[in-house]
Amino acid sequence: MYGGGNTFEGIKPDALAGEDPIKLAEFEAKIDRGEKIEPTDWMPQLYRKQLIRMIEQHGHSEIIGALPEGTWITRAPGFKRKMSLMAKVQDEVGHAQLLYSAAETLGKSREQMIDDLINGKSKYSNIFNYPTFTWADCCFISWLVDAGAIVNQLANAKGSYGPYCRALDRICAEESFHLKYGHHCVIYLAAGTLKQRQMFQEALNRWWPPMMHFFGPSDKISVHTEVLMKWKVKMGSNDDMRNQFLDMYVPKIKELGFTIPDPKLKKNTDTGRWEYTEPDWEEFKRVINGDGPCNKERLEVRRIAEERGKWVREALRAPKAQYVTPLA
Amino acid sequence: MDQQALKELLYKMADDQLIMGHRNSEWTGFGPLLEEDIAFSSMAQDKIGHSLAMYNMLQELGEQDPDTVAFTRNANQFHNCQLTELPNGEYDFSLIRHFLFDTAEAIRFEMLTQSSYEPLAQVAAKIRGELRYHTMHAQTWIKQLGSATEESISRLQKSLEYALPFSLGIFERSPFEDKLIADRIFEGEAALEKKWKAKVEELIGQTQLRLPSWESLTPVVGGREGKHTEHLQPLLDEMSEVFKIDPTAEW
Amino acid sequence: MTLFTSMNSLDPRVNRLPIDKVANSSPKAALDQFGTFEVFVQAKEGKPFQHEGIVHAPNIEMAYVLAKETFTRRFTCISIYVTDTRSVHVSAMTEGTNNAYENINDSGASEPKTSYEIYHLLKRGKQHIHVGSVTAGSPDEAMWRAKASLAGEKQVFNIWAIRTDDIRFTTTEDKDLWLTLPEKKFRDASDYKGGDKLKAFLESVNK
Ligand SMILES: [Fe+2]
Ligand SMILES: [Fe+2]
Ligand SMILES: [Fe+2]
Repeated sequence: MYGGGNTFEGIKPDALAGEDPIKLAEFEAKIDRGEKIEPTDWMPQLYRKQLIRMIEQHGHSEIIGALPEGTWITRAPGFKRKMSLMAKVQDEVGHAQLLYSAAETLGKSREQMIDDLINGKSKYSNIFNYPTFTWADCCFISWLVDAGAIVNQLANAKGSYGPYCRALDRICAEESFHLKYGHHCVIYLAAGTLKQRQMFQEALNRWWPPMMHFFGPSDKISVHTEVLMKWKVKMGSNDDMRNQFLDMYVPKIKELGFTIPDPKLKKNTDTGRWEYTEPDWEEFKRVINGDGPCNKERLEVRRIAEERGKWVREALRAPKAQYVTPLA
Repeated sequence: MDQQALKELLYKMADDQLIMGHRNSEWTGFGPLLEEDIAFSSMAQDKIGHSLAMYNMLQELGEQDPDTVAFTRNANQFHNCQLTELPNGEYDFSLIRHFLFDTAEAIRFEMLTQSSYEPLAQVAAKIRGELRYHTMHAQTWIKQLGSATEESISRLQKSLEYALPFSLGIFERSPFEDKLIADRIFEGEAALEKKWKAKVEELIGQTQLRLPSWESLTPVVGGREGKHTEHLQPLLDEMSEVFKIDPTAEW
Repeated sequence: MTLFTSMNSLDPRVNRLPIDKVANSSPKAALDQFGTFEVFVQAKEGKPFQHEGIVHAPNIEMAYVLAKETFTRRFTCISIYVTDTRSVHVSAMTEGTNNAYENINDSGASEPKTSYEIYHLLKRGKQHIHVGSVTAGSPDEAMWRAKASLAGEKQVFNIWAIRTDDIRFTTTEDKDLWLTLPEKKFRDASDYKGGDKLKAFLESVNK
């Protein structure tokens, strides 16, 4: 899972100053031809840096994203849900494994990435800093947060970096299970008892604002990333992604008889774009910068997991292991 | 075929697997290494799947449906051995328990491929690959950590000594042993225990861990007849928290 | 970073974490990382092995055990193998219409001969696929021999050569490991058909 937008820093005008113009032209021509970049290819420093940043954050979002749904892993109701949720959360851990591996091919080790996560140096998708109060919150994530992630990931799978695309191909194939499973859970809540319907409506009320934040700040206020779009690192604008998500899922939510808590939400048939109450971008910034309801807990849990696993990793390392950058 | 004896066997196996799978699933997202997090979760899923297969058989024999059986009974109605219900502790204990339990489980189901109760023999044959992975995983890890650093060896040693008396509780005799053996449903706990001890000796012997003499250990029994530690009821309460919001609802 | 005295989480598992035990320990060591192993998967009988990714592991045996669930817990699979990343010999990567074999020249034969597995990358962004094996005295010689016997018609962007002895294969007995994979439907999107339930619900609402 992964939220767009927020992950890119503004690009300084001199960011490409030191690059060889001939190599740069060849590099861009390759991307224009639709050929993927592979780890041993020449690439501009900015491309490498931004890709590491993006893939790493995506990986963090998966491993942290396992926590809000993991909150219900011991409480899933009935055999079927119990096994599905276990498999679903497991997949998210697996996605982190795949993404960290892809980022490693660019020269940053997994351990460095995890260190940066735990030490608060890297970001991850802000939506996982919100709490899952009930089973219905968990179902909201499985269905709609994953749906949002899929919009993002399908776009990114068409990006230019080979190892990231390969990871995303696997991930997207698994996401189809997540999406179907999540929808299935919500259908059962919708078609269930009054209490069950209520549970989901309440979850929807809680999660809609962070869901609108998920794709990142509106294009009006986002940093400029044209060169990253040209290099097929960033594959769509935040507003386009958000619009695509709303197109696909607003009808499905309404079909189940739930009310989306935004009276202004409607599609403008002239422009084909959705109109909605402007999300609270101040809150978004606050949460991204560490002040959300669960930021502390999420990082602390990761830190404890790493700390508890330390003796295992140390024992495995004995007598001595050598690390080389993986191939692809 | 003695139905009561058969049901008793199925219940204790199913309850073992359910509780073990549940406990192991608690590690998901908290594991010591991403790849191991994934592997451990898969085996937990397998365990839940095995228990479901057993509860399905029980339903065929006239018991209630698996969800009702798993999510509404109280601790004193569960027949799992106490080993499975103990809290996860640190990874050393979880690994040692997984090793001791799955070594027994693999031998048990190997024996059950010969069961005269056809549905059980079929399931046993089918899940042999899964159990093969569970034991391969357990053995690889125990061998690795049981001979690595001072810390890993002493952690595993401590956990081994703590878990062993509980693990002998796996083989608590049922009042139906003779019937199960006579009907060729199952060769019995005594036969299983003997094979298990030989295997554990062999595998621990390949590490720097020390196995205390079997005579020095007092088996912790009672689980099979519904006597449990204080840990099981809270586990069940947690497991059924959502289910019990409305047990008649479909989730 | 401020440490929690008690987590007071919605997650009962988090509330059970031994916080006091780890709260005062030193920060994570900077680089407690071990090596990587490359993982190859065979989906079906008769299909070639394909590179799927890596696992972190301390040795090849553990790599095999960890690779199994990391890469083959869903979709079809009948066999996997793993090798140390350092055991993979890599040709130069080409682009456009340049074939990787154009850069492979005769570097002379050497002894003793041993078997090498050869892999091709046929499209950038896709996976390396096993194409066959050759006998050679060195990785360079293996690529040269592959040029003669395995190059084929298609454009190859990259070639890998791995000494067969450096691979941890699946044994015949271990083929059972994937026996129930097709039956694990709960990991499959097709097992979550909510259509009927949804239809019945919509009908009941419209009444
Ligand atoms: Fe997700
Ligand atoms: Fe994911
Ligand atoms: Fe997902």
